[in-house]
Amino acid sequence: MANSLRSYLTCIRNTLDAAMCLQNFPCQEVERHNKPEVELKTSPELLLNPILICRNEAEKCLIETSINSIRVSIKVKQADELENILAKKFLRFLSMRAEAFQVLRRKPVQGYDLSFLITNYHCEDMQKHKLIDFIVQFMEDIDKEISELKLSVNTRGRLVATEFLKQFI
Amino acid sequence: MAAVAIHQFAQCITCHAWSPDHSMVAFCPNNNEVHIYKLVREKWEKLHVLYKHDQIVSAIDWSLRSNKIVTASHDRNSYVWNQEGSEWVPTLVILRLNRAALCVQWSPKENKFAVGSGAKTVCICYYEEENNWWVSKLIRKKHNSSVTSVAWHPNNILIATTSTDGKCRVFSTFIKGVDARATGISSSNDAKFGEQIVQLDLSSTWTFGVKWSPSGNTLAYAGHNSMIYFVDDVGPSPSAQSVAFRDLPLRDVLFVSDRMAIGVGFDCNPMVFAADERGIWSFVRFLDERKIAPSSSKYSSQFSEAFGKLYGQPKHGMNNDTHDSSRHRGGAHENCITCIVPMITAGDTVAKRFSTSGLDGKIVTWELDNVTDALR
Repeated sequence: MANSLRSYLTCIRNTLDAAMCLQNFPCQEVERHNKPEVELKTSPELLLNPILICRNEAEKCLIETSINSIRVSIKVKQADELENILAKKFLRFLSMRAEAFQVLRRKPVQGYDLSFLITNYHCEDMQKHKLIDFIVQFMEDIDKEISELKLSVNTRGRLVATEFLKQFI
Repeated sequence: MAAVAIHQFAQCITCHAWSPDHSMVAFCPNNNEVHIYKLVREKWEKLHVLYKHDQIVSAIDWSLRSNKIVTASHDRNSYVWNQEGSEWVPTLVILRLNRAALCVQWSPKENKFAVGSGAKTVCICYYEEENNWWVSKLIRKKHNSSVTSVAWHPNNILIATTSTDGKCRVFSTFIKGVDARATGISSSNDAKFGEQIVQLDLSSTWTFGVKWSPSGNTLAYAGHNSMIYFVDDVGPSPSAQSVAFRDLPLRDVLFVSDRMAIGVGFDCNPMVFAADERGIWSFVRFLDERKIAPSSSKYSSQFSEAFGKLYGQPKHGMNNDTHDSSRHRGGAHENCITCIVPMITAGDTVAKRFSTSGLDGKIVTWELDNVTDALR
């Protein structure tokens, strides 16, 4: 793994470790409700300052924290049009299956490719370090996966073109 | 000093309280019930389940002398439970809240209790014999956000509150007909009900877990910015100390004695704070020795498995050399500790035993052999 990627992921891991201090907190605005404050944003005092971690312009991670929920939004590297379309399709595939991931948000935050929403209930059910591991692992693998996909698309394209052009020989 | 008893009661515990003789424990297993367990021949047996609330129970307090349990819940209600024979009978509390009740504590004389709420108010409740219910007087319009914890001063009049607006406040709760005017020359006793004695604006973010020291001279509370605050001479000119520590923030604080406090929170390990001869507070050590768990190179969370399945290929063995996972929290607790309760009998000033409960569903009892032992 490239060194810059490692420090980027370490930074995200440490930030998540500090930010993921969540607790059960009932809604102050609506009776008998309990909602993730980071989504509602009705009480500004319940939100903490958002943190933006950038590796470069194309790759960044926004961590928004509130008293009972945390939202992690990531932007994946897209160097060219092919990567762009691969990332779009792949992340759409994942978002449509958000239930299976529990912490995945169905729609990413504007300007980002994929968002996670972690609430205090997730922290009660699951171990915090495993959750953080999952997110960091996910970010690590997504780049790998997209370059692999890109390679196989290129290989297949070359193969198809060769086969197609054979008939003209 | 160590954990003397660890027992897994449930998946997750929001709060717990001990009976006066410490043979029974009441806790909320993260739902709308309160379970009461009794230690019978070294085994915990479930004796009672209190059903009355319809949302999660956020706080429980068991009075030392009168053997009453008070519960507060997110359903905006609170009940006082009285043991009659083998049954626990609830008494209605007229809280007049329109938001969740978050914290509750009996006053030292047990003739009042305080409920902090998400409605930005504090209810001081007292018993009305004519109607057989508990009525409340509200401290309104003083807090700008939810009240996260309340603590009674030993004089039964002053109450300290912490709130998510980052302030800690002290109020007078003198109620005519309930409290007798003290003959002592305590100036605080002259204040009317709901009068704010002092507002401490030390923390930049949410504050939790306010407590008075046994003598009532020192006030401690925790901020979400990994700080703990100690305030002496609560009154017109308080003197405050802020102690910052490097670990995750605290959720609750307990004074073991006037010079020593234990903080519990997101770091899953109780922290000991102590004052030296000059009264300067500092972090001393963790209560639980941290075991260094062998770092596992293989991820076995259900996520990775699901992730691997979605990929159509196993993805486990690929990250051997990347990094070891974040700090393993080996020790008595494996998840955030939310509650610390002293195990004292009436008249004790030093809490030699106390218990902690957390999101991992364990109740851990800790014992101090002697107070200086902890400082080593």
